[in-house]
Formats: sequence, C-alpha cells, structure tokens
Amino acid sequence: MAQRAVWLISREPGTPFCGTVRFSRRYPTVEKRAKVFNGASYVPIPEDGPFLKALLFELRLLDDDEDFIESRDSCSHINKTSVYGLLIGGGELWPVVAFLKNNMIYACVPLVEQTLSPHPPLISISGISQGFELLFGVQDFLSLSQKNDTELNTKLNQLPDLLLQACPFGTLLDANLQNSLDSINFASVTHSQKQPAWKVGTYKGKPQVSISITEKVKSMQYDKQDIADTWQVVGTVTCKCDLEGIMPNVTISLSLPTNGSPLQDILVHPCVTSLDSAILTSSSIDAMDDSAFSGPYKFPLTPPLESFNLCYYTSQVPVPPILGFYQMKEEEIQVKITVNLKLHESVKNNFEFCEAHIPFYNRGPITHVDYKVSFGQLEVFREKSSLVWIIGQKFPKSMEINLSGTVTFGAKSHEKQSFDEICIGGTAYLKLHFRILDYTLTGCYADQHSVQVFASGKPKISTHRKLISSDYYIWNSKAPAPVTYGSLLL
Amino acid sequence: MGPLSRETWAQRLGAFRASPSAFMAGPEGEDLGRDLLSELRSEKLSEQTKVSLLALSLEYPAQLWPDATAAEAAATSLLDTLVLLPPRPSALRRPLLLAATTALVAGDALGPTSEASRRLLPLLLGLASGRDLGRGFGPASEQRPLQATACECLRELESCKPGLLGGCLGLLRGLLGQEGPVQPLSLLLALALRNTLVIRARARAGLQGLLMAGDTPSGGDPWNWALAEEGDARLQPQAPSWPAAEEECGLAVLEPTPEEARELRAAVAQLLDTSYLLTPVAQAQLLWLLGWALRGLRGQTPVLFKPQLVRLLGTAQLTLLHAVLALKAAFGEALFTAQDEALLLRRLTVAAQHPALPLPAHLFHLHCLLSFPENWPLGPTAEEAAPLLLGPRLCRGLLPSLLHDPMALLARLHLLCLLCVEDEEKEEKGQDWSPRHYLEELLAGLRQRAALDGGPRASATLCFQASHLVVQCLATQPTVLTPLTHGLARLYRARPVLAPHFADLLDRVGPELGEPLRVALRQEVVSGPGRDEALRWHLQILAEVADGNAQSATLGFLGAAAAHCTDWGLQQALLRVCRALLRAGVGGGLADLLQALARQWEDPDGRDHARLYYVLLAHLAGPKLGVALGPSPAAPALASSLVAENQGFAAVLMVQEAPAPVRLSVGPHRAAGPGPVLQLHVEVLEPAYSLELRFRGEGQVYAPLGAVHVPCLCPGRPCRPLLLPLQPRRPAPTRLDVRALYTTPTGLTCHAHLPPLPVNFADLFLPFPPAPEGDKLGFFEELWDSCLPKGAESRLWCPLGPQGLEALVSRHLEPFVVVAQPPTSYHVAIRLPPDSRLLLRLEAAQEDGVPVALRTDDWAVLPLAGDYLRGLSAAV
Repeated sequence: MAQRAVWLISREPGTPFCGTVRFSRRYPTVEKRAKVFNGASYVPIPEDGPFLKALLFELRLLDDDEDFIESRDSCSHINKTSVYGLLIGGGELWPVVAFLKNNMIYACVPLVEQTLSPHPPLISISGISQGFELLFGVQDFLSLSQKNDTELNTKLNQLPDLLLQACPFGTLLDANLQNSLDSINFASVTHSQKQPAWKVGTYKGKPQVSISITEKVKSMQYDKQDIADTWQVVGTVTCKCDLEGIMPNVTISLSLPTNGSPLQDILVHPCVTSLDSAILTSSSIDAMDDSAFSGPYKFPLTPPLESFNLCYYTSQVPVPPILGFYQMKEEEIQVKITVNLKLHESVKNNFEFCEAHIPFYNRGPITHVDYKVSFGQLEVFREKSSLVWIIGQKFPKSMEINLSGTVTFGAKSHEKQSFDEICIGGTAYLKLHFRILDYTLTGCYADQHSVQVFASGKPKISTHRKLISSDYYIWNSKAPAPVTYGSLLL
Repeated sequence: MGPLSRETWAQRLGAFRASPSAFMAGPEGEDLGRDLLSELRSEKLSEQTKVSLLALSLEYPAQLWPDATAAEAAATSLLDTLVLLPPRPSALRRPLLLAATTALVAGDALGPTSEASRRLLPLLLGLASGRDLGRGFGPASEQRPLQATACECLRELESCKPGLLGGCLGLLRGLLGQEGPVQPLSLLLALALRNTLVIRARARAGLQGLLMAGDTPSGGDPWNWALAEEGDARLQPQAPSWPAAEEECGLAVLEPTPEEARELRAAVAQLLDTSYLLTPVAQAQLLWLLGWALRGLRGQTPVLFKPQLVRLLGTAQLTLLHAVLALKAAFGEALFTAQDEALLLRRLTVAAQHPALPLPAHLFHLHCLLSFPENWPLGPTAEEAAPLLLGPRLCRGLLPSLLHDPMALLARLHLLCLLCVEDEEKEEKGQDWSPRHYLEELLAGLRQRAALDGGPRASATLCFQASHLVVQCLATQPTVLTPLTHGLARLYRARPVLAPHFADLLDRVGPELGEPLRVALRQEVVSGPGRDEALRWHLQILAEVADGNAQSATLGFLGAAAAHCTDWGLQQALLRVCRALLRAGVGGGLADLLQALARQWEDPDGRDHARLYYVLLAHLAGPKLGVALGPSPAAPALASSLVAENQGFAAVLMVQEAPAPVRLSVGPHRAAGPGPVLQLHVEVLEPAYSLELRFRGEGQVYAPLGAVHVPCLCPGRPCRPLLLPLQPRRPAPTRLDVRALYTTPTGLTCHAHLPPLPVNFADLFLPFPPAPEGDKLGFFEELWDSCLPKGAESRLWCPLGPQGLEALVSRHLEPFVVVAQPPTSYHVAIRLPPDSRLLLRLEAAQEDGVPVALRTDDWAVLPLAGDYLRGLSAAV
C-alpha cells in the first residue's frame, strides 16, 4: 500500500534534459521492506538525475524522436496503463506510476509486496491505486486556483510539509492535500471522537449551501448515411456546504422535468452515506427504455468543509442541441466550404457565447477568403490557417444559419503550420464552442426545497446551472472521418 | 565545524539533494549526519530550517547514518532533542518522532537490546494512548496531532516488525472505542490484528485472549519482541498477492474458540462501522487489511463487509473500487453473488470509460476489467481475458477509435481482439460491422497515419504495436492476418523509411504473420528499380527477408543496386543481404555477384568484404558456412552488426582458446607388444567433436609422438581408453605436454591446454620374449652375464611392506619374472626400449626387506632403477 518514492517533474522541451525534478520524496522504511519483499528482483530507487532521464525517455518526452530505438519503439513494448518499467543501472525499476498533465509529470513507485519477476498483475498490487490517488491529489492541489508560475512555486514549496502530514511514511493518509494544509492551520481546534479524518475542523458562521450543476455536451456529427451521429451529456454537480456542527446531515435531491433525460453512470463522492440501487444501476450500457429511473435522485451525505463534486453523471438526450453539417471540397490550392448549423427548438436560445472554429491542418497559411454568412461574423486567422465564425448570443428566429465560402492557401512551410495526424486530405472538422447559463440539457435541477439539512439554523440555499460545449465536432461529410464503434451501429 | 547559517544549510541541502552519492563522496559528506543532529539544538536556526533538516533525515537516513550503531546514536540524539524542547508549541515534535522512528528502522537498529528503541516505544505508546506525558510534550493543542503521529510511527514499526504490537491489541481496541483519533487508531489496530492472526496461525497458536480490551497489557512490557521475531522471519504482504488462494498462509489452521471468534468479529465490525470516518484512501487500506485478515479464517463469514459495498460501489474513487476488487478476489462467491458480480462488473465498465474520470484511471479500470477476479473463471487466471459476463454489448463503449490516446487505443484494442476471438468462436453473424471488420478498419486507419510523410515516430510505433498485439491475440485467424499482411506491405511501399519497424516486427511475430509478410515485403522490394532514395531501407528489409526463395529476382535487384551503392554504408547494407543469402545456402548466382562486387567497388573495405564472402562461399561447406555467418556467440550484445560479424568470423575461422573439454589420466601399465604403450583414461567434461590430442615429451627423450583422434565425445557416454605408443630414445621417465584441438557443438574450433601427463620409469618396462621352457635359469644367467663389463652392477635393499615379497612381485613385476621360487626368490629380466635391459635378483627375503642384486647394460639406468625399487613398497 505504501509508496517508495514520489516525484514531480516539469516538462521543459528544448532544454538539455527536457525537464527538471521539481520535487521528490523518498521513503527509506518502505525501501527497507521493498528489499525484503522483492528479493533478487529488487532494484533500488535511483537518484533524481537518472530517474528523470529514464522516465522522459520512456514517456517519449526527450527531443530525440528521430531514430528508431528498440527499447522504446519496439512493437512488443506495449504499455496499456500509466505504469511503466524504467531501465536504470542495468535493472528494471517497476512499477513506476506516471502521467503527464499540464506539462507536469507526476510519478511514484509503489511498494510491491512480493517478487517482481515475473511482474505480478497490477490489479494485485494495492499500492498502484494508492499511488494514483496520491498523484491525483497532488495534481488537484497544484491546479487548484493556480494562475501563474509564482503560485505554482509557492505550492511546490508547500509540498514537503504537506506530504509530511498526508503521507509521512509513504502510506497515504489523505489524498486531499488541501485538507492537510488546513489541518496544519487548524491545529488548535479541539476535536471530538467522531470527527471524520476528511474534515479537519468545523464551520462557524452563517449556514449556506450552494449547488451548481455543470453539463458538458460533446458530439460527433458526420451527416452521412452509414454513420450515426453521436452525442453525450456529462454532468458534474459541485456543492459547498457551510454548516455548523461536526457531522451535519444533508440530503440533496436532483430532479428532472417530465420530459427530462434520465441520468446515468452516476459516480458519487465518498461522503454520500447511502445510495438507492436505482441510482447505482442506471447505466448507459443498457438499452434505453421508458422504464428508466428518472429521479428524483437523492443523495444523503455528510459534507466535508471544502467544495466537493457531489456526483458525476452522463445522459443521453434525444437530440443534440445544435445539429449541423460541414462540407469541404479541395480544389488545388483552394477549398470550398459550406456550413449549416441548426439550433434545436427545445434549447434555450440565449448563449453566453457561441462560436464555430474551423481549422485547416497540414496546409499553408490562408491567403484569401471569399465568404458569405447568413448570420454573425467571420474572423480569419491567416497564420494559424483557421476561421472562427462568431455566432454571438442568439440564433435568428429561423434557428438555422449558413456559411459558405472559398479559402485559398499559400505554400506550406513545415515549421509554422500545425501538423495533424487525423485531418489528412479532405478529412476535416469544425468545432463548436458555446455556453448557456442557467440551463441544463437534461433538464436536471436542484431546487431549494429539495435540499434537506439536519443542522441548527436554516441555511441559505443557492443553485446554479450551466451548459458548456466540449469536444463538439462536426466532420466534413465529403471525406472519410474517424468513427467510434458506436457510430457504426445504425 | 561551527554553527552554519540558514543560507549555508539551504545550499548544503540543495547540493546533497542534487546528488546524494556525489555529496557523500565529497569532503563535506562525512560530517553531514553529525552536523545535522547538533544543529537541531542550535538556537540560531529557525524552526523552518530545522524541519527541513529533519525532512532530509527522513529521506536519507542510510546515507547520513550508514550503520546500526550510528543509527542508534542518531535516534538517541533525536529523542534527546525532543525531550529538551521547551513546553511551547513547536513544529519540531512531529518530525522528530518520525525521524527517530525512521532512523531506527532504516538503520536496522530496532530491537529489544537497543536503548533508543526502549525509549521510543513507550513514548509512542504513551502518546498514542493520549496519556499526559508531562510538560516536555507540548501544549494541549498539540496532543491530538502528536497522538495521530505516534499511531503512524507505531504502524510503521509494526509494518517493518510484524507482530511487535501483538500485545497491544486489547489496548488499541479500547482506545478506538473511547476518544482516540479514529483513522490512525483504526489503521494501526487493523494492521496489528492482521499481523497477529497471520503469525499465530503460522505458529499454530490461538489468539490467547489478545483481543480482549484492557487498559494495560498484562505483565509489564507490551512489546511482543518474540512475536516480532517470528514475524520477522517472513515479512508479510499487507495486501495479499493475487489471485492465489492462500493455502500456504494457512489462516485456516487458526481455529479460534467461539469466544475468540466473537471477539474477532466484534473488533472487525467495530473497525468497519466507523470506516466512513476515514479518508477514502484510508478506507481502502482498511478493507485490504481486514479482507486479508479474515480470508480463510474458519468460522468468519465475510458478510461483515456487505453493508459497506453499496456505498463503495457508488463512488468514483479508484482506491475504493480497487479495494472492493480485492475483497472480491479474497472471498469470491462467499461475498459476491452472481448478481453482485454482474453489478461490480458493470460499475467497473462504467468507470473504465466515464468522461468525468482521468485517462490513467480509465486505463487502470480497463486493466482490472481484463484481470477481473471472476467467481468461476474459465481460462487460466494469469492471462488477461474478457470476463464471461462482459459481453459485446457491455464493451461497446470500450472499443478503440483513432481519436484515442495511444495507450488507451492499445488497451481498448486488446479488448477488441479478445472480442474478435469470441466472435470467431461463435457463428458468423452476417452483420456488417462485426468486431473483426471494425478491427480491420482501425488498423487501416493506423497504417494510414503511420504512412504520413514527416509524421512523428510515435504514430509509426503505435501502428506496429497495434499490429503486434493483433497478431498475438488472433494468430490463428487468416481472415485477420491476410489483410494485415497486405496492409503492411502497402505501408512499406508508401514509407520505406519505416524499415527498422518492419525488421523489429518480423523479429517478434511468429510464422503466422512472419512468413507471408516476408514474402510480401521481398516482393515489394525486388520489384522496385533498386536505385531510389530508399535503397538503404530496401537493403535493410532484404537482409531481413532474403532466403532461398525468389533467388533470381533478389540477385537481379542486388546486381542493379550494386552500382548505386557508392558509399560505405550502402555497400555494407548490400553485403549484409549477401550474407543473409549465403546463410540461406544460395550458391551460383551469388558467387558471380560477389566477384562482380569485389571488382567493381572502389571502397577497399567493401571490396575486401565481398571477396571474403566469395572465398567463404567457395571454400566452406554449407554447415560450416552457416555457423561462420551465424550470430556470434562471442559478442551477442554488440549492436553493430559489422563488429558482431567480424567477431563471428574471428570466432569461427580462428581457433579459440578454451578450458579443456576432457580430463586425462594414465591407466594401468600394459607390458605387451613391441614398444611401450601408455593407456589413457578419458573423463569427458563437455561434448567435443573431432578431438585431436597432441603430445610432446619434455627434453626430446622420446621420438615425436603421434596425435590421437577421437571423432566424438559426450559427457555421460563411456569412452574407451586411448592408447599412446611411446618411442623412447633412452629409457627415462618424462612428462608429456598435452594439447587438445576440437570442435564444439556450436561449430567453434577450440584449443585447450591440458595438465601434463607423467610417464614413469615403470611405464617403459617390457618383458623379454619367453625363455625356452626348461632352461629359464640358463636364459637368465646368460642375460645376467652379458651386462658386464659394458654395463653396471649394484646391490641395494628393497624394503618390504607387510604383504611380503610375493605380493610385491605379483603386483609390480609379474610380467617380467623369468625364474620364480616363491616366496623367497625371483629372477626378473626387464627390457627397456630402445635397447637396454635391467636384471634383478631378489633372493633371501627377510621380514622387512629383500636384498636385490641388479645389473644393467646401461649405467644411466642404475639410479632410476634404484629409485624405482626403493619406492615399490610405498607404492603398494
């Protein structure tokens, strides 16, 4: 369950080492056990320098991608999880849990309480999931309200003290590092026996509960006979409960209107104390029918102090909010494009913003554009070879808008133009970016009366909703497009 | 060294962290550990700096205090520092406790005889119990965090010395029930409980009331060093290894009394009931520990876990789902009905693709799905396989697409391949988008991406990894392999620069894909003009795929290409193809090509190489040629094929020095025939073929000796003695220098120097032709007289052993006796080649010896004969 060492490495392409170790922590008592458990297959934790080099090589983050290197590029060197073996000093350091996020590499080596040759299956190693949780925790801590390098450095400087709290001997006590930070500051609070470990203090002040539902809608539209369009809603419900008492009980209910789309694949926060089996079993894997559970979705819980994600869900709404097609034809150095977008009548026609981005990959800079739009304005980014159609706050009454035009490109220069592996030849897409406030596509809402609080004082309850687009693609229907298996099942 | 400032320390710590080994090897290394301990008491340094010093000691105790004595002293010093802290709030108490614990454990100093251990343990237990330890231990506000830290320290000690806290179970339960901090106490109790159960079971002892709650453990010292010693013998995994049903852990042998079983159940229930107060990661640890503790324990049903499961299954936490899977593996059907199993599988499937979870979590869940601990697994559990309940419908969202990240694509592709296997087993459903069809489309997409000119190497790598994965899973399905082969050949045509990937793939796949792909690639290469930019890659591929087939096309291509091989690298690449053809046994056309190359090329190296190959082709028989060009056993690890090749030639065409494959010893003397013959016994150590043994006598005493040939020797197979005829130039002993020349089973010719063989004086003895019957004495007397005056005469005393004269003669001189009057008198005549004689009269033997009169016609023999006779009794 324990970790032998943890690293944070910032990725710095172009520098001699392509990265710097920003933080590392070793656990010698765990190392002691590793030596006994691993026996002859034991490989000691290396110093930072060799580790950095080996990890960046394995993750393909060194700047030497030019040549075929067997130990990295061999077809039998297949990695299907974020767990790697690093060749260091003649031995293989395994398992190294590592992933790259926002130019920061998070890595740790969990203790394996048995011999390492042959490698035991990952599922049998408790330290793997603990390691992931630790790294996710560090990542959350670093990304929380972080805006610039100075803030990042401040947070990195806090890490040694935080891990001394949250992971003193390599066995993780709390993945929520913010919690550990608070506990350093909350030290004077007297605790009672029933104080949960995930709640370091108690709230003092006006009781209030805030619930916000954010839905992201993603879509792949092809406008083709043999390929089905797909779309999916992913919801996140975030809560902040400022309530007095050590363990206030709260029940939050999410409701759907009569024609709302059932919530599926619900994952809840660990503070939820019990779950209705209907919530547990409603899943997108099953075929939809009218008998699907459609709420209300009740979540009894004991809230932590901080803001937390009460639950995540997905949903299959009957139609995509914006249906469109994109036709692009290549004619020598020109392409002809036609775009049509239609907002579904059931969707709230009041956007915070709505834009269609039309990138042209693997081509030269745009030299000339002839276009006609029925609505909104078109912006041309010549060097980036892309167009942005700014649609604005509202669709017109007809709910349907068009763009047509001809784009001419200059000569391709390899350095400047963006390379894309997917958009080759006629394969191209446009991507929609929009946001609608106080609206959810599923209809899901949490009203003030649906929140029950068993604590002293009547809390002020506020609720928020919004819909955001995310990965909303419309593919050129005049050329092949990448499909998922789901799109093929008509 | 005097006190250091904060900046100096920061600098020093920075230098140390950058490379601990380099720092410790430097001038400051030795003092660091000592300085660090003394600086902790310095009043000049801020607490923050001191915390950073302690942090260093937490990470590198083995470097700072490398042996047990130093670690013990360090721990003592740390504890002293702790006691001396003024009674106001301080950030140092926690790290000091952690540091003392770490120093003792990492320095192997923890034990019943260690003074520091004897101070630390009661201190920790006192703190953990929330007892008031006096003013040294800080203000009340610090008690709670210190209590938690003490529990963590104890947990670490128990982890490293399982069983240490076996005597404190009751105490810990009591604390958990009262006011203690829930998480640290729960985890500590669970670990101690688990360890105690395992050790007790191994010792076949009961729980002996260890679980009974009590404030103080009976009988003074709560430390169970004895139990810890037992535990120490085999450090126990805190989490069970998968999937082994733990017979050997054998908790089943532990048969708690009904009362003990009740207590145990109560303790576990107590831990589980408050588990929601723990952080998710700690809950997961608790479940792993308790699952492990109760597994296989008789009379303990795992239903205690049941109330927790629904809550756990609902969460998005990786650790909790993983812990549930651990329970699933531990208890199987006893805890999870078929419906529960299906639900768990569905939750796992959801988690493996839920858009709200990060990619690493998806991949891990997918791994768990393919290693799912089924109640009734069908196949071998060691391999990844799709669980039975995971039908194509459930998998729909888990199939790969080109838009996925490479790792996700490979993981999902594996699942798709497993589905294709099942799909093939069922009947063809006639549906347009069967998984196999989808697989083909996907691979085509990957190849298209890899074919992109100037695309990153990663996409080519991904394409080949995917192909390899597919071949691994679907090697038996021609419907998959045929399009794959064609697709790959087309990819090569589009982008020959991927040749290294093709060579790598060919090396790693079995013949199912390898054979057709070789043919397709060869076809692809030799049908080209042989003079384009990609020549280098074509030659690399040809070197990989050239064999005896399509000779004329291959040779034609090479002939055309030769003219364009203007630089050394290309020439070597072409020669590598020739070499592959040589190995494949291609003859005639190749000889012409090699001769042409040897004439045509300007570069001397290429020319020489071509000539060498030609010579090899012309002079070596097929098998030898194969060995000569085969992978070099001398340098298997060398990356450069040229160097390897040269070493291979050197190895094969030159004679290698090697340890002797045989051991020789001189057998019993054979006194027969015209000349002396040495009988050699052979002990075979390693197989050897065409063994030739060469002998050379020292000092040219003998005429040159002929070599002895043995066609084949194998260890374990009996070998007849070898006969080595000797031709002495004068009758004298000598030593033979022995060398062996032989061929190993791998075809190498080796040379070995064997230990010299002694030829003794007696080895040269030959009998005279039989004397005429009836006048043996006369015959002897005639010989006796003929020795003088040219020769020499002597008398000496030959000591006898306990056996007496008769035994001595029969043992050593039997073949040479001419006249015998046992047991007292013998006349012995010995012929010594080339033309000497030695005559002995052994008469009137006494108790302890016999006087010997001897004559010889060669005076040089006298001292040898004297030594020989005197040594006889000792030789018996």
